Amino acid sequence: MNSPAMSSPDLTPTLASSDKRGTTLINHWQAGVPVTTGPVLTPLLAGLIALAAIGFVMAAIRVVSPLGPFSAMNSVYAWGIWKTFNVMTLTALGSGPLALGMAAWVFNRQKLHVVMRTALVSGFLFYATGLIALGFDVGRPWNFYSALMPWRWNTESAMLEISICMPLYCAVFLSFEILPLFLERLYYTGNEKSRAFLRHVSPRIRKMYPFVIIGAYVIPLMHQSSLGGLLLLAGDKINPLWQSPAMPWLYLVAAALCGFAFTIFLLLIVCLRYGRKLDGGVLSELANLLSGMCFFFLAIRAIDLIWRGQIHAAFAFNKMSLLFLLETSLILIPAVALRFRRVRQTPRTLLNMSALACVGGMLYRFIPTSIAYSPMRSTSYFPSVPELVMAVGYISLGIVAFIFAVNYFAVLPGEASCWDHAFRPFGWKRRTAAPTEMPLMPATALERGV
Amino acid sequence: MNILAVPLTRRQAFKAMLGIGSTVASVVLPKSAAASTEEHPAHPVAAPDAVAMLYDSTICTGCKACMPACNEANGLPADTLLSGGIWDMPTGLNAQTKNIIELYQDPKSDEFAFVKKQCMHCLDPACVTGCPFGSLKKVDFGAVTWNSSLCIGCRYCEVACPFEVPQFEWQALNPKIVKCEFCYDQRLKENLEPACTAACPTGAVIFGKRDALLDQAKGRIAAVPDKYYENRVYGEHEAGGTQVLYLSSVSFQKIGLPKLGPTSLGHYATKVTSVIYKWLGGPVLMAGVLGLFIRRNWNRHEAERLLHEKETGFPDQL
Repeated sequence: MNSPAMSSPDLTPTLASSDKRGTTLINHWQAGVPVTTGPVLTPLLAGLIALAAIGFVMAAIRVVSPLGPFSAMNSVYAWGIWKTFNVMTLTALGSGPLALGMAAWVFNRQKLHVVMRTALVSGFLFYATGLIALGFDVGRPWNFYSALMPWRWNTESAMLEISICMPLYCAVFLSFEILPLFLERLYYTGNEKSRAFLRHVSPRIRKMYPFVIIGAYVIPLMHQSSLGGLLLLAGDKINPLWQSPAMPWLYLVAAALCGFAFTIFLLLIVCLRYGRKLDGGVLSELANLLSGMCFFFLAIRAIDLIWRGQIHAAFAFNKMSLLFLLETSLILIPAVALRFRRVRQTPRTLLNMSALACVGGMLYRFIPTSIAYSPMRSTSYFPSVPELVMAVGYISLGIVAFIFAVNYFAVLPGEASCWDHAFRPFGWKRRTAAPTEMPLMPATALERGV
Repeated sequence: MNILAVPLTRRQAFKAMLGIGSTVASVVLPKSAAASTEEHPAHPVAAPDAVAMLYDSTICTGCKACMPACNEANGLPADTLLSGGIWDMPTGLNAQTKNIIELYQDPKSDEFAFVKKQCMHCLDPACVTGCPFGSLKKVDFGAVTWNSSLCIGCRYCEVACPFEVPQFEWQALNPKIVKCEFCYDQRLKENLEPACTAACPTGAVIFGKRDALLDQAKGRIAAVPDKYYENRVYGEHEAGGTQVLYLSSVSFQKIGLPKLGPTSLGHYATKVTSVIYKWLGGPVLMAGVLGLFIRRNWNRHEAERLLHEKETGFPDQL
């Protein structure tokens, strides 16, 4: 949150601080800066809104329709893509706040603070849309009030852990962490009264912050590993290449891996879209961590397979073995490639490698829930059209919300000099922010240290 | 670095002691609590009042008398989808069928066998372990029952059950989990045997105490060696042991009983987490450790923040 001193118009552009490791010259990312130019409602966004709307019409129909005629799920494949993809797979991508937050606050990678907001907003949206998906997936949601009654809890159930911790994490901890975005906007667009209020509350939020983020890391550590723990009970239904007592740990590491990979991917994509300068220092720090996570994941995976004597099954070159090799190579390639400084420093390769790592991590999270899940009764499952439409709708909703977030709030990292206090006004009439008195300083001038 | 050489204020020392104390407590306390009783032993022992069913596939004639008896006792409608609305004709356990007689027939040889399918009432049921709000419960006599007012419809029981028994009512707006409950409410409570065993005319499925039936089954095996597949009772050790026991002359896997290890799934799934989550010890310990690091880095960040704000004139963002 910005301090009151900053509302003065004579803001001097921030000098770029030099990177101590000397790999890149300039830190372009110094603060979260809102996107203030260009139209918000692009054809792409309109299309996404339409998809989300269709998804929500289907969801409304689902409220008055039983699951049976609506989805392709059956009692053998009782979990469809809403659970296995929207929740178990996509919350891995939404683990950016966990992975980056731990790196920044626990392991003191101070560089990463500037991209926390991007990770937080994307993580919040992955969790929120996943939870909406869950709400339409469960058969008897009206009994969920039991979550408030601890004496009803079956504490040994991984499902309990998830059904309580996921909403708690999203509604309390992630919401608290993204609260400064809203307050900051209110500070710059509100009246004197709201500013006085914010001057009163913001020190209190700062006081609470280090305590709240403890919960914001412990709780996802718990439920991200419990997602793997869920599958332990499925026992022999899951192919032995995936079914393992190490699954909770692997799910957790895969979440951290996907969190780093997706944050890199998202930052590159969005900065490209909005013409933001990239910051080689932060990105290669993230890439380093991603590579480390990939190696850590592969090490656990290899030790686990050797320990259980299943390593031969990995190279049997049947369907499951090929899937395993695909998943492993999708993680191994970025792990190795990102060791090279040239790869880390080239946006194109960084984008490709982070995308590969995302897909690899997602495959690991998805395969044991569906492809490698083979109960003995010979039924099959492929998501029905309404299921797919709703799943796409939830994802579109997340993207729409993210696009709005970067346009109306200071989410994306940028140069401090392009901060002009001009938040885009709410409402459709004015499509761009009012021009500011202060001309934007070109970044090249900053690089020369003018 | 000698930790004692670090200058500490009284307040800091007190805080550190509190932190260390709670960390130690969270490590020590759950251990002693965990040592007392194990909730999911690898090889659970049947409760003294555990009842059971013994189904002998070599005696069953496939008359299916147990199926309408089950439907009647449980108030289930007949599944007449395949028979064109005439008689009960389910293709497997489903939302209208808690009990079914299936036929296995080898297409090449004339080998065939009937098999009765219903809930196995495991000694340590995976569905009960997984059920988040305790809707599925193992009650008196070891019957596994379902409580409609606690179920949220997550269908984890269907994922967990190795026998694929629980059936979700996919066609209902108020869906229930349909599974054999050993006629607990209907008959067991009133000292009656379950409807299926009461209806069986040939004695292919009989009801009794689990240990008595286990002895009887072993007696049958001993009386005619090599009549029964592998000379063993299915359900004695499978998935930690079940309260429905099977004897068969053909392979258990051929008649649709999965090959399972002797360890209970609940033990496999909770042996680590039950230690970590005992009295929330693991999470509290984790919070303590993370809290120490976050506190340290937060203070560093705050110190740098003021410096940075003074230097650049730009405020720090959370």
